[in-house]
Amino acid sequence: MNESELSGPRYWKSLDDLAETPAFRDWIEREFPAGASEIEGVNRRHFMKIMAASFGLAGLGMAGCRRPEQMILPYAKQPENVIPGVPVYFSSSMPAPQGHIPVIVETHQGRPTKIEGNPSYHPYGGATDGYTQASILDLYDPDRATKSRAAGAAISSTAVRDRLAELSRAHSADGGKGLVFLAEPSASPSRARLVQAIQAKFPAATWAEYCPIDLSAAERAAAKVTGQALRCLPKLERAKRILAIDADFLGKDGDIAAARGFSKNRKVKDAQEASKMSRLYAVESGMSNTGAMADHRLRLATSQMGAFVVKLALELGLSLPADVRESADSLELDANWVAECAADLQALPGESLLIAGPHLPESVHALIMVINDRLNAPVDYVDVPAPAAGIEAVAARLAQGVQTLVILGGNPVYDAPADLDFKALMAKADESIHLSYSYNETSAEADRLIARSHYLESWGDGRTRDGMLVPVQPMIEPLFPAFNELEVLARIAGETETEPYAIAKTTFAAAGGKDYNKFLSDGLLLNSAYPQRTLSLNPRSLAAALAAGELTAPQLSAGSIEVRFEASSHAYDGRYANNGWLMEVPDGMTKLTWDNAILISPRLARELQNEQGIQIFPGSKPMNQQDGFFESAKGNVQKNKAQFNRGKEAAVLAELTLDGRTIKAPIHVVPGMANYSVILPLGLGRTEVGRVGKGVGFNAYTLRSSNGMGAALGAAIKLTRETYRLANTQEHWSMEGRAIVREGTAKYYQEHPDFANEMGVESHAPANYGKDDSKSLQEKSTQQFRGGSAYEHPEFSGPPPNVNIWQGNEDKFPRTQQWGMAIDLNSCTGCTACVVACQSENNIPIVGKDQVLRGREMHWMRLDRYFSAAEYKSDEVPEDVQVSFMSMLCQHCENAPCESVCPVNATVHDRQGLNTMAYNRCVGTRYCANNCPYKVRRFNFFDWNKRQIGDFYKGPFGAVDEPELEKMRANPNVTVRMRGVMEKCTFCTQRIEAAKIDQKSKAGASADIHVPDGKIKTACQQVCPTDAITFGDISDPDSEVSKIKASDRNYSVLGYLNARPRTTYLARLRNPNPKMPDAYKKPYAYSAYKERYGNAPKTSEAHGEAHMDAHTDTPLAH
Amino acid sequence: MATISQEMDPAQAALLDRVDPAVLEEQPLVTNNRDFNWVTNKICGIVEAGTPTWWWVCMAVALATAAFTGMGLLWLVSSGVGVWGLANPINWGWAIVNFVFWIGIGHAGTLISAVLCLLKQGWRTSINRAAEAMTIFAVVCAGIFPLFHVGRVWFAWWLFPIPNANGIWPQFRSPLEWDVFAVSTYGTVSVLFWYMGMIPDLGTMRDRAVQRLKAGAYEGATEYKRKFAEGFDVFRKYFYGIFAMGWRNAGNHWRNYEMAYLVLAGLSTPLVLSVHTIVSFDFAVSVLPGWHTTIFPPYFVAGAIFSGFGMVMTLMLPLRAIFGLHDLITQRHIDNMAKICLGTGSIVGYAYIMEFFIAWYGANPYESFAFINRAFGQYWWAYIMMFSCNVFTPQLFWFKKVRENWALVWVMSILINVGMWFERFVITVTSLANDFLPSSWGYYSPTIVDIFTFFGTFGLFSVLFLLFIRFAPLMPIGEVKYVMPQGDPHGHHAAEKGGHH
Repeated sequence: MNESELSGPRYWKSLDDLAETPAFRDWIEREFPAGASEIEGVNRRHFMKIMAASFGLAGLGMAGCRRPEQMILPYAKQPENVIPGVPVYFSSSMPAPQGHIPVIVETHQGRPTKIEGNPSYHPYGGATDGYTQASILDLYDPDRATKSRAAGAAISSTAVRDRLAELSRAHSADGGKGLVFLAEPSASPSRARLVQAIQAKFPAATWAEYCPIDLSAAERAAAKVTGQALRCLPKLERAKRILAIDADFLGKDGDIAAARGFSKNRKVKDAQEASKMSRLYAVESGMSNTGAMADHRLRLATSQMGAFVVKLALELGLSLPADVRESADSLELDANWVAECAADLQALPGESLLIAGPHLPESVHALIMVINDRLNAPVDYVDVPAPAAGIEAVAARLAQGVQTLVILGGNPVYDAPADLDFKALMAKADESIHLSYSYNETSAEADRLIARSHYLESWGDGRTRDGMLVPVQPMIEPLFPAFNELEVLARIAGETETEPYAIAKTTFAAAGGKDYNKFLSDGLLLNSAYPQRTLSLNPRSLAAALAAGELTAPQLSAGSIEVRFEASSHAYDGRYANNGWLMEVPDGMTKLTWDNAILISPRLARELQNEQGIQIFPGSKPMNQQDGFFESAKGNVQKNKAQFNRGKEAAVLAELTLDGRTIKAPIHVVPGMANYSVILPLGLGRTEVGRVGKGVGFNAYTLRSSNGMGAALGAAIKLTRETYRLANTQEHWSMEGRAIVREGTAKYYQEHPDFANEMGVESHAPANYGKDDSKSLQEKSTQQFRGGSAYEHPEFSGPPPNVNIWQGNEDKFPRTQQWGMAIDLNSCTGCTACVVACQSENNIPIVGKDQVLRGREMHWMRLDRYFSAAEYKSDEVPEDVQVSFMSMLCQHCENAPCESVCPVNATVHDRQGLNTMAYNRCVGTRYCANNCPYKVRRFNFFDWNKRQIGDFYKGPFGAVDEPELEKMRANPNVTVRMRGVMEKCTFCTQRIEAAKIDQKSKAGASADIHVPDGKIKTACQQVCPTDAITFGDISDPDSEVSKIKASDRNYSVLGYLNARPRTTYLARLRNPNPKMPDAYKKPYAYSAYKERYGNAPKTSEAHGEAHMDAHTDTPLAH
Repeated sequence: MATISQEMDPAQAALLDRVDPAVLEEQPLVTNNRDFNWVTNKICGIVEAGTPTWWWVCMAVALATAAFTGMGLLWLVSSGVGVWGLANPINWGWAIVNFVFWIGIGHAGTLISAVLCLLKQGWRTSINRAAEAMTIFAVVCAGIFPLFHVGRVWFAWWLFPIPNANGIWPQFRSPLEWDVFAVSTYGTVSVLFWYMGMIPDLGTMRDRAVQRLKAGAYEGATEYKRKFAEGFDVFRKYFYGIFAMGWRNAGNHWRNYEMAYLVLAGLSTPLVLSVHTIVSFDFAVSVLPGWHTTIFPPYFVAGAIFSGFGMVMTLMLPLRAIFGLHDLITQRHIDNMAKICLGTGSIVGYAYIMEFFIAWYGANPYESFAFINRAFGQYWWAYIMMFSCNVFTPQLFWFKKVRENWALVWVMSILINVGMWFERFVITVTSLANDFLPSSWGYYSPTIVDIFTFFGTFGLFSVLFLLFIRFAPLMPIGEVKYVMPQGDPHGHHAAEKGGHH
């Protein structure tokens, strides 16, 4: 730190300080900047030392946003807007590959604890995704890069700044001839400005950008066809017919706006509205969330998508060049499927839309652009900056030898195409500098590491996917001496303005912004989105853009397999590899945690099994297979799953060879995948990574070369006799015909509005409420009619028994609000963001792979995923499936089975209808968890919070202390649970109480203490992109949740138990097109229910179907 | 007979005189025409004789085994319940299985001492003391599991209704709370019953020591040995003297004793039914398919008696061989115990089958699945173990040849207990592993800590039982005499005439 950087008035702590003796300087160096990061993690003593040091340095220009002093000293003078115990919310945004995600960050005394979406940004409506939710954990990652390094030794921030200034001077002589930059793509206009400055200063330097998950194919295709880079923003809220071409726009490939827009046309209020529901067709190679939501789904290899789109284009009457037309012949397909799908799309011009996966070749994107134009599809095209040069440019420069290679973020040594051999190339640079948040594979190879600050510690800006300008604000001063990318660039560019705050502010002014403070508090600048363009297609450039080679379908077989590379749900491209929340949150479809696996189709698995003689599926013939006895007893034990050895998936290890490169990884069979496509999730198998990511999964990048970044052909799989344990949180894929997720078709719903309540045991049993069954939900919630229950119910309609009210004035006593939740299964896309949001809000610990294998994951909310097939065979994993999701959390039963069995009154009901847990009272008999029909209670088998993963079994020999840094992440309003106690969803009771306190202080002397509807949002509800979750007061008939629960699709899971859950579900609807060859009259799940439990006569398949229909037409006749 | 023949015509009378009806000899309960003195000497002699070497060996092995429980619990308390194999959804595993298993074993003691006493079953006398001791030790072993299976064992006292500053009482609706009362009552009454029944014998032990001390005639090879024997008798004089509570063998003592014994028998009889009924409520009161079954109380009680008698035979047959008690524990005793096993085993078998019938008849898909899965699902091996040991094994007791082969009976008695352990495993684990929502189905397997902790309780049980046979009279001396032919003047008379009445 030099004199000119000192800010603020000069204060001195001691005469030594004033004199600036070397000893004092030395003390600062030792105690704070280096010392802060000298140890692994942070312990309590050390944290106190850091805090003390920051006191000492307060007058030396380190004064910033971090306010640890609040924790140890009371304010002599209360700072404005800071009330201990009351969180402060700041707007910011998270840099994400798809563009910045506007967020609002909850901070407690200068300590960010929770991220939520910024509702002012309407396309996202306050929603975020799981990665955003989990990103806060990275801030407090003890394994992050805590200091800059040169040649393996720690260096001070001053040394870094000096080096950057030197670099700038050294390269300005020859215009940056020896200077190469490799950066991650960024939507930050400030960075774009600095890049321009760098290019101006160093015209000969190379600037390239690389992200292993390329999202720019469509933009490049648009540039080819129209001459300018355009981004396609589908307006799904206006689309009634959607065809997704290998596009997981509701999951991995999409942004929140897409899921949000899509769900708008899937929400069905009543039977009349069912006809307005949109229809989704999906053609895909993997089994994605989009495929799970699809009404019609076609399994097709990624490399065959081009031919499919050509067939569709021809069906729609487009004129295409002859070689392109012929390419469609290479694909054998049910012509009816394409024809009927095309007809359906054409029938609603202006409301039909095609979406292509970003990994598809440019020709496909170009063709889809044309088709969308023909369909007059609701798509906005916006101008985006032209994509920068790719990593190949850097490779080419490096091959010739360069002086300085600056890698800004990213991890190319790990994730660059394997054919480049980036590690070797990097060594050719005289000096390589890596700006990185964590010490990774690239940092290990770099000569110099500059520690990068987290976005929650940095100033900056960015643009959302549609171009709206959003700020990045620091919530806390960097916990470690780290650098912002903007500062690094500014210093290399030799700018006078090197403070990121000033840079961002200048950019804001340049973008036409007026009030920077308002921008910061709003979290966005209105009307700053990218300009829209009307598409003007140039037929000649279109013809040139269509490469017949990319549109021809190759033949695939078990010997010539297609490999798809995909971002993993756990680590994305590898950037979250040390994020425990993301590691432990089960993948939406496979339900795997702490691993990735080679995902293969059941057909391929069977063929490999037969060919190579190694069992992938359980080998023994099930005892109950095709046995009349079991059929009649309605019991069927599913055997058709992966090998599970004592509840742990024993996956076969396989060697997958592609282009002469081989990896060894476990196999996981996923129904619904294209026959000969396998999926390799990227981002795991990191070698230089923190404690969390160590030894997790395998690295699929080693197979990926520049000519097959999305999909590659010609792979072969060799099974080995070894097995590998996969931590799978859901062993069983079938719903076993039980009426758990209730599904109907839109048409069936129109004819039978009450179908959801004519399923399950309760449809055959007397009403739970007996004669009071017809009472309204509001009455039932406050009066608690006993029905057939022997259990004494509290009455919530009047004052509690221990409260004295003037006689005759009982009715004036304010009604206690009754909380309830409704989950619309028709909107839930299974994105799993709710699970991470819940984890973040409620201090839910992670337990590690070993404990997940034992079944001890702690998530309060889980997302059940069921597959159902047209025909259930107990010995075969189906190839074509329908997927049903159900988020399962504490149902807050009014007749809670858990409460009556707790011997110590630790789980009790409160007057708001919440099933509460008194952690202090719990002794941990676990009877409640046994008696919970929904299995949503979670037990602290160990001190998850205090003990480190791997130390759980060490008893007195293991450390029992929570690292201070990890403690900082916790939400102070939620108890951190100790071992031996039970825990579960509380309906975010801390949020309810905060809202009640707020309302009471507003109400003053008036009786208006009811929290207004919509004021309380549970964490899962807040994050949900599709608004599938609604929470509120069910004793108020006008509340949103009451209105939703009034729907005839509303049902209670396992309602017959008379537990009377406060959480109810809206049955899911599918909207098949009856003309399609794969049309179905009933969703598979419904057919399975009818067949097995629905009193349908036991007859042959064909007969049964006909009979079933007749039967269900008169549902009350059984 | 004579009176009848007088009223008949002579021809018929002559015919009748030629009839030689089969004499159904009731086997005496003490064979070989032993006298009272022999009985006293035999029973007291076991305690008074020098400690045999095998006892020390057994004790050492038992202590070492019991240490496994100690270590297991130490690890458990210092780390967390996670050292066991429990997980969601199987939150109760071996601990509860073992608890029910041991409590079940504890059933025979009270049944023998209370129910059979009220039913005036004389054959109970030679086995009741040991059976009661077994009950108490089994309850001790059983009590460890529910205590330590809780997450925070240091707060387990919250289950007792102790007034406290928090003003929170236990929740009386919970079957676990009922368990606390049921098991502690059962334990208390069993100890009382056992101890009270022992008072006359403790008096005898004391008196014998006093007599020997007075006679001063200690035989021994060396002075040292004689002093040693004398020292022991001094110890016995005071030890048994204190616990004999002033028993003087007086008539009014005997009268009070008999009354108190009867009262305690009356008090204990409902406990025999209540304890296991309440333990079965732990399951039956829940909503889980496979647990939520009204058949559980009688089925559990029958199973408990079944396993309890199995355990009595497991213990008594070796004791009989070691101490030469063949005259006191006779074939008739073995026959009776085997028959009870046959009866209760058949009830249990009936219950197994009835569960299936009800599951089918009830037409509840969740329940029918639970039972199908129990027998044919992932835990089929446990079900087979349970069914074969509990239903097929006791059926062999129909055969006299089997009952007379005491080695076979002993092996079968062990099989019965293995089967009954598996029954509890099947009930507890299979129902939890596959319940309502298939998404959370799981699999339970124990860890080494589970196994060692359970294994160790057999050591603990053995330690206690070895102490019992070393320091307490194995059988109630007075009561054994009461059922001897000599103790029954009418029976004695009839026996002389070679007839019966």
